[in-house]
Amino acid sequence: MSTPEHQNKQDNSTHFGFKTVNKTDKASMVADVFHSVAKQYDIMNDLMSFGVHRLWKRFTIDASGVRPGNKVLDLAGGTGDLTAKFSKLVGKEGKVILADINSSMLNVGRDKLRDKGLVQNIEYVQANAEYLPFDDNTFDIITIAFGLRNVTDKDKALASMYRVLKPGGRLLVLEFSKPEHELLNKAYDFYSFNILPKIGELVAKDGDSYQYLAESIRMHPDQETLKGMMNNAGFEQTSYHNLTGGVVALHKGYKF
Amino acid sequence: MDAFANKVVNKMSTKLGEQLMLKQALALALEKIINKALSLNINDNNKLKPLNEKCVTIILDELAFPLSFSVYQQQILVTSLAEHSDCTIITSLKTLKELQKNQQLTELIKQDKLDITGDIKLAQQFVNVAQNLSIDWQSELAKHIGDFATYKLTRLGKNLANKFNFFKNQVQADSGEYLVHEQKLVVTKDKINEFNQQVKLVNEQAEQLILRLAVIEKKLS
Repeated sequence: MSTPEHQNKQDNSTHFGFKTVNKTDKASMVADVFHSVAKQYDIMNDLMSFGVHRLWKRFTIDASGVRPGNKVLDLAGGTGDLTAKFSKLVGKEGKVILADINSSMLNVGRDKLRDKGLVQNIEYVQANAEYLPFDDNTFDIITIAFGLRNVTDKDKALASMYRVLKPGGRLLVLEFSKPEHELLNKAYDFYSFNILPKIGELVAKDGDSYQYLAESIRMHPDQETLKGMMNNAGFEQTSYHNLTGGVVALHKGYKF
Repeated sequence: MDAFANKVVNKMSTKLGEQLMLKQALALALEKIINKALSLNINDNNKLKPLNEKCVTIILDELAFPLSFSVYQQQILVTSLAEHSDCTIITSLKTLKELQKNQQLTELIKQDKLDITGDIKLAQQFVNVAQNLSIDWQSELAKHIGDFATYKLTRLGKNLANKFNFFKNQVQADSGEYLVHEQKLVVTKDKINEFNQQVKLVNEQAEQLILRLAVIEKKLS
């Protein structure tokens, strides 16, 4: 296991994109990025992924096996795309908690879901994934979509998720990953470092945040490494599905 | 070897389908179309109320995955989740088309074209929702392109439809007529039998003539 996470465990430093920063500083630096992009987050997602992020999220829903009455934690839920779908599927007997460390993202998500008339079974919690403020064995399903790479200590966050998951429950991690083919990898690199920051500059007036996004994707553990990290946290029957050639991967693990 | 090749091809197409998320793309498209149709329905969507928070899953012979339709308030969510369903319908696209023609569910079940597990009433209620859909296309079009353009476009559409129907009827009538005339020229079985009888008769007469000639020849010699 040679993730930057592990390499930096002793010296109390971590990565913020390609930069090495103090662990205590990363959370506030990531927070600044998301405060800055929160209002344009949805439109940027559509532009950057050509709308494919909707299919990645649908794939996550389909893989979740959610049932009416389930209790779901949508961690780093941002503007609430997954929460909206889960809310409809768990029904009034179930509950969805939309949690995000960033208050701006949470506010945008709350306003969006209320505008859609989704109020009856959703709660909003500002929470750090490393220290989840919930009792042990609370949730049937936990999802974290495009959030894990921004977490300072991923191992600690995975352990925290494991703790609050009910036995029999499952964790789904949807995250950018490593493309399977070299040609796709090169095209993706070109897109990420040359085009993506420019779109960010034009639309969200913030090229730096999208430069961070591209860098943070490269620094995120690849498929096999993340699978190993989930195993280390205690998850069983861990597996992953590459989507769009491995640009994104959905990892799944159970707590028994 | 063929079975192995099929297995490999199936595995590859499944993996490709998964990578391209075809299931999810189909579910997304269906969800958009259904909810748009519901929002444009000129009849009220009251028939959806008893289905609130219910899920009907359709497994089509033509698709390798289920499609689940979950109702939430006045909207329908389409997924390929199969873990929970209040009613599961196993059928084919052809039978679904028959359902649109007011065919009763029970009739189709008797004909083994449809298999339902769970609450059959829900399936009937879903069919009722589909049959209750009626969209005023002219009003909807007028909102986007204006009344005059809609009137012109509708008239053009009607003219084209009339011309197409006329052409279709003409082709049908001509082909019918052609068949009737051609039928007269076709040699029937009776005619062939009659011809065979005549050939047989000529054959018998020829044989009798040969015999008579043989007798005369004998007398002369």
